[in-house]
Amino acid sequence: MIMEKQTHTTPDRGRRRFLRNLGIFSAAGALVSCGVRTEADGSGNDNGAPGSMTMRRNPSTGDEVSILGYGCMRLPTVSGGSARDRADAIDQEMVNRLIDRALEAGVNYFDTSPAYCKGKSEEAVGKALSRHPRDSYFIATKLSNFAESTWSRSSSIEMFENSLKYLKTDYIDYLLLHGIGMGGMEAFEGRYITNGILDYLVEQRDNGRIRNLGFSYHGDVAVFDRLLEMHDRGEVKWNFAQIQLNYLDWRHAKEINPRNTDAEYLYGELHRRGIPAVIMEPLLGGRLASASQPIARKMKERRPDDSVASWAFRYAGTPEGVLTVLSGMTYMEHLEDNLRTCSPLEPLTADEDAFLQRTAVEILENDTVPCTNCKYCMPCPYGVDIPAVFAHYNLCINEDNLPRDTSDPRYAEARRAYLYGYDKAVPRLRQAARCVACGACVSHCPQGIAIPAVLRKIDKYTDNLKSTPKA
Amino acid sequence: MALAVLCLLGAVGLFADFTGYAAAHWAWLAKIQAVPALLALNLGALALLLMLTLVFGRLYCSLICPLGILQDVLAWLRRVCGSKKKKRLGFYGYKAPLTAWRYGFLVLFAALVAASALAFLPVSYAGMLDPYSSFGRMAGQSVVPLWRVCADALAQWQAGRGVYLFEAVPSPVVMLSLGVGALAALSFAVVLIFAVRTGRGYCNTVCPVGTLLGFLSRYSLLRPVIDTDKCNRCGSCGRRCKAACIDTKKHEIDLSRCVVCLDCINNCSQGAISYGLRRMVPAGDGEAQRPVMAEGKPDTARRAFLAGGAIVAGAAVAAAADKLTDGGLAPLKDKKRRRTAPPAVPPGAVSLRRFRSHCTACQLCVSRCPNEVLRPSLSPDGFMQPVMVFTSGFCRPECTSCGEVCPTGAIMPVAVAEKSAVKIGTACVDASLCISAAYGQSCGNCARHCPAGAIVMVKGDNGNMRPAVDEARCIGCGACEYHCPSGTAGQLSANTAAIYVKGIENHQQV
Repeated sequence: MIMEKQTHTTPDRGRRRFLRNLGIFSAAGALVSCGVRTEADGSGNDNGAPGSMTMRRNPSTGDEVSILGYGCMRLPTVSGGSARDRADAIDQEMVNRLIDRALEAGVNYFDTSPAYCKGKSEEAVGKALSRHPRDSYFIATKLSNFAESTWSRSSSIEMFENSLKYLKTDYIDYLLLHGIGMGGMEAFEGRYITNGILDYLVEQRDNGRIRNLGFSYHGDVAVFDRLLEMHDRGEVKWNFAQIQLNYLDWRHAKEINPRNTDAEYLYGELHRRGIPAVIMEPLLGGRLASASQPIARKMKERRPDDSVASWAFRYAGTPEGVLTVLSGMTYMEHLEDNLRTCSPLEPLTADEDAFLQRTAVEILENDTVPCTNCKYCMPCPYGVDIPAVFAHYNLCINEDNLPRDTSDPRYAEARRAYLYGYDKAVPRLRQAARCVACGACVSHCPQGIAIPAVLRKIDKYTDNLKSTPKA
Repeated sequence: MALAVLCLLGAVGLFADFTGYAAAHWAWLAKIQAVPALLALNLGALALLLMLTLVFGRLYCSLICPLGILQDVLAWLRRVCGSKKKKRLGFYGYKAPLTAWRYGFLVLFAALVAASALAFLPVSYAGMLDPYSSFGRMAGQSVVPLWRVCADALAQWQAGRGVYLFEAVPSPVVMLSLGVGALAALSFAVVLIFAVRTGRGYCNTVCPVGTLLGFLSRYSLLRPVIDTDKCNRCGSCGRRCKAACIDTKKHEIDLSRCVVCLDCINNCSQGAISYGLRRMVPAGDGEAQRPVMAEGKPDTARRAFLAGGAIVAGAAVAAAADKLTDGGLAPLKDKKRRRTAPPAVPPGAVSLRRFRSHCTACQLCVSRCPNEVLRPSLSPDGFMQPVMVFTSGFCRPECTSCGEVCPTGAIMPVAVAEKSAVKIGTACVDASLCISAAYGQSCGNCARHCPAGAIVMVKGDNGNMRPAVDEARCIGCGACEYHCPSGTAGQLSANTAAIYVKGIENHQQV
């Protein structure tokens, strides 16, 4: 495969590649001689430079945590899928192999929850990890008392005790209040405050059954802010917090999901207080593991041998206040690719960071709207034909008729196609420009599309296109 | 002749084309028209016309004036359809000039020009007599809408094959105006009758440009000359002269009426007429110029006129059908335009008074406006002259079409960069109709779409957010009025926008 690739490259690049491989080879040789374990990964990629895993230090307990954390929400099932999507049994043998390999390569943070994999994750993880010395890894799990039936003190404590049981341990290294912000302040009060569970957890930390207490955040940012206020006032000191961070969510969280908050803010608030951040969704549910052709091309031009996903990992792992970056790895290939990226994790340069910020804008602009044309949003009281606007926009993206750049040789034609098609598909008085953002549609959308925001984006795009006629 | 036909097609194309190509390449065709050049004080064009006439005679009427060429086409059709006997004998014959009528119309025209120039009259009515503007109104009500229907059908057909010809095809219905249509139909009828019965009777009786050029063409350097030695007095040339200006008995040609079509030379069996220098005995073989008949040219105007009617009917049917389909869409109302005094006129007009006295209502800008903003006014103080209506579009910042094509200088060219600094009106808020101010709904569409950033949403007396206009920043582009949901959204009782543009008398720089 390598040879095949080389026949397609120019002699100069082939030579460079050769020299590089030579360098890697000798470095690997040096590592072997130093006694550091290296292993051919056999996944076919030639640049597996198995250095050692980048580690980060947790300031409160001194834990040395691997930058790659194992997310146990998508464990493999016997039918070969991910337990997040499938109902069949977890493939314990595969889980064991994955976890063995991860530990061997230096991964020491395993993140699970009573809610994951239809409730089966903790048990499977416990089985796999208990085969290894307890001090060779950190277990993170959560108090996932989402359902109102589990809000009572006894149910919540039972959930915590069950976690210990399933994980075959008598202490949890990292315990999280799971998904604070979901359901707003009311749910937070019900789950943790009125039932005294927060106090209970602090108590457990004091007596060592919990080594680090933290929370994971989704949703209402007021709850996030409240927890940090508690920290500031000294009511509860958080040892860490888990947030969603990737190059889309850094500044464009609201465009992806109106209930989310920009990671730039979340991380900033944590870092300011010295609270280490655990990163979830570095790939945004797998979305950043692949990219459109033009974006993938730009990434390959910069780092030909690195995967598209590696950019997202490096992005999430670069900030110094990040303790670990979680990845829900279902398959060995995922794990191997992530190990390559994180052993060691090469921080982004300022230029690469700027490139990813631009890429984020490009991705969002080039993103199709996940509208299924169910028409639940209709009728819009202001006459906007919402599904038709989205359908036209998506059509133009899919046919590559969404002109971006006036220097594009196809700009004029794509512009005509977009504008003419828009007027044909949607009468002018039913186009995105007519949206007054009353929000009547939002709650009807089963896809959770932020309809007014997306309409505004399309309107802005159309307006810009109209005002830049010539290349 | 081929050149004349090209000119006619060019003029039609200038009106019909909405892609900007014609405007970029053929706008000069409108600018060398006599009355527009006169009103624009376009000295270059006037000098050109003066020279042309002094050298060649009234070649302008046969080669440049689209209404003149249109009459030739009509007359030619009549000849094609006429009886064999008539064809053999010819259709016309020498007639004495109707001098009193000619000068009467010229004086009327001069009076109208002077009156508006000296501000006795607020509006230029001279455009009523201008042959080019008259032609423009006819084309604008017939060929242009027809072409838009065809172009749209073509574009749609091509789009199905992944080829995109145009970025947009403006609505054909927007062009049609009852007032302008009636006047255009009337002038077409008059021209048609004149053309069929008297050839160039209109040009030599009614048209002030014809009369004016007639003064000059009497002294033209080149002219048709009759060689009395060769002439056998058959009278053929006289009967075939569209301008009815060859007095065969006296061997005289009335050069003030001759439009230099040179049909006479072609028809003289004796080769007795030639086109040459005055007082010079022609060479005799009559070989000089053999005019070529216009070939196979369809009667565009009449067909288009009939088709115009068909379009109106078709559009009505389509509108009716639209109302019945798709229950998933909220109904939309036709937003009524809000008539303001003064009305808004395009950037480049400088002032309303100047605009009114320069515009000949040729409708070129109306047919060129890609945003469907310019519409002929129906009010008596600016009848048929364009005003800006913001119900189906707004004056987009990147568009300078009207100023590029206006031949009379009523709308001066404005650079794109300058345009957003020209204030043509001010937005006014009628808070009682605003869905935000009056009903407390979230909106702010006007503020969001204002390209000048002149609108802010502020808390009103009742605690609701309402738009407030920074009048110093507002340029009157109408984006707010166009985007206002009041008057359009079916569930609202208002039938006009809650924010609307009021024109200003003198445009300003912001």
